[in-house]
Amino acid sequence: MVETVAVETVAGMTPEMIAATQMGLKAIGAGLAVGLTGLGTGIAEMAIGSAAVGAVAENKDMFGLALLLTVIPETIVIFGLVVALLLLF
Amino acid sequence: MFKAKPMTRLFMAGLKEQMASVIQEIYRQHLFHVQGFSEARGEDYEGFRMGMPLPGAGEAAAQLVTVRGLLSTLGISRETPESVGKKPAPEVRAWLETQLPRIRNDVENEISRRRSILETDRKKYDELCRIYDARLAEIQKELARIEEKAEEIRKAHADWLLASEELLMADVEQKEIPLQFATTEQAFVAEGWVPAPDAERFISALQKATGGKIFITEVPMDEVPDQPPVEYNNPSFARPAELFMDVYARPKYTEIDPTILLSIVFPLFFGLIVGDAGYGLLFLAMAYGMRRFLTGPEGRMLLTNLRNASLSSLVFGILFSEFFGFRLPWAPVLFSRHLNIGGEAAAHGPAIPELMVLSIWIGVLHITLGRFFGIINHARQDHGRHRTLAVLANVGWLCVMWGILTLIWSQFALPLMPDLTGAPSAVLGLNLAGLGGAVALLAGIILIARDSVLEIIEIPTIISHVLSYARLVAVGLSSVAIAMVVNFIAIGMIIQPQLENLSALGIVIIIMGVLVFLIGHTLNIALGLLGGGLHSIRLHYVEWFTKFYKGGGEKYTPLGMIRRFTED
Repeated sequence: MVETVAVETVAGMTPEMIAATQMGLKAIGAGLAVGLTGLGTGIAEMAIGSAAVGAVAENKDMFGLALLLTVIPETIVIFGLVVALLLLF
Repeated sequence: MFKAKPMTRLFMAGLKEQMASVIQEIYRQHLFHVQGFSEARGEDYEGFRMGMPLPGAGEAAAQLVTVRGLLSTLGISRETPESVGKKPAPEVRAWLETQLPRIRNDVENEISRRRSILETDRKKYDELCRIYDARLAEIQKELARIEEKAEEIRKAHADWLLASEELLMADVEQKEIPLQFATTEQAFVAEGWVPAPDAERFISALQKATGGKIFITEVPMDEVPDQPPVEYNNPSFARPAELFMDVYARPKYTEIDPTILLSIVFPLFFGLIVGDAGYGLLFLAMAYGMRRFLTGPEGRMLLTNLRNASLSSLVFGILFSEFFGFRLPWAPVLFSRHLNIGGEAAAHGPAIPELMVLSIWIGVLHITLGRFFGIINHARQDHGRHRTLAVLANVGWLCVMWGILTLIWSQFALPLMPDLTGAPSAVLGLNLAGLGGAVALLAGIILIARDSVLEIIEIPTIISHVLSYARLVAVGLSSVAIAMVVNFIAIGMIIQPQLENLSALGIVIIIMGVLVFLIGHTLNIALGLLGGGLHSIRLHYVEWFTKFYKGGGEKYTPLGMIRRFTED
């Protein structure tokens, strides 16, 4: 109890406020993890996607392979999602 | 099982006058995968030249062009035959002799020519249509009459035309087969492959067709340099997965054919990702409803795969207790994926750490299996020192992976994983288990480097490939989240407050809520289908196949065809 009072006087915050701030920062971190990795994936898929569309336009049989190559960078955003889930739960 | 269909190499030689009947018999059997002869074949074939087409090839080709032209003019397609009965070949030939020229004349003079003239006219008169309205009506009427006539001809002759197209195609193909044989002035020689179980039957059929005047023998083969053509040899339940194999590459003859495992594991992964009984039922309905539109063999295979995947989603949905994002009346049998959205799952939140560890386990075991297959493939296909090194390198990859795992277990206690933190301590702050892991790691790196030093830089992919299996949980959780958010917005935020005190405006808002519900779930279903399918197949292609599978085998394409409109 004495320690809690000490924290209160030092930071001017109640334990509830501290817990809420921590939760909020975690949520920001999770959002950054998904958002930034999403951007990374998007940049990577940009080049692959345009090349894949070109290949499919020349040869329709390439469609399956092209779709597959395009989703390969999805791994990055999946890692971001994993990090976000681990942060939140 | 796990192996391509065994093939037998055949070598045949005969007199040129026998060639036509030999070809006819080969074609009828639909078994012989010919190894095309090229004149740069080497000294074994000195003095041989490429064969010439059989007599009549040109006529048959010309007739085929005529029949195809008629089919296209009359708008007849193979996919929608108006009668499916098979015609005997001699009758079709007689029909070709007597009827074709007449029909051709009819169609060319009365239909094609007139139609194209009238089409041009129609365009011209369309521009002047105010003045020439009457003429236009006449033309329309005449066009309709001509279409009627075309319809008449189509009705009377469609099945004959289809049958002759098939017959002539077979004729042309047969007459051009000699181009793939080696010939001299008097004789011909052909080499090719026949499935081993059919070889006896094929040989005796050819002997019978030529009255014993052909020399034909099985040639001993060496699988690795010869690379026979590859036909899948799978039980019927695994056949639809061959589609996914062919998208990547057909296995080599000597390689392990992983189709069976793909056909089992792909639906499991799909179900684990989607994991919703409601979506599973919808996918199942889709798999059966689309049968009317996708009639080709490949479309059917895709739909069968979708059916298997949706059954698996249904089962996992029951285990996860999910139905369109709502919970079913029982607690999840597997780990809960219910998120705490709108206070729905206050009693039990999602079991994220357990689910993550589960997906890591799946990854570790899947990749371990892949490496074992890699060991078998290298042992089968390579020779000498390289073979030993390649096998040991695969053992090395396994050592590194399991070494890292043991090191982690010795440092941290994780759910669902063995806890080795309590082992007696050894050197450098490692306990005994950790020491074992470190030794395995080092030994593995040495084994990999002995095969190829550059592979060392690939070692971090062990971690990224195993972690990549986390998508099984992550993609699934995001689709659960979308479903629950849609439910909460549509029902919790829009519909329910209006139901409490109903008004005229409230009904409109409720309809809006239903729309939000439908659009949200449609979007999520599309995402689930794409995500579930692509991510599960990608785990196979990128994380699994790279461990053992090369592919690049030649497809087994026997001479002959499956007849649909004709018979002997």
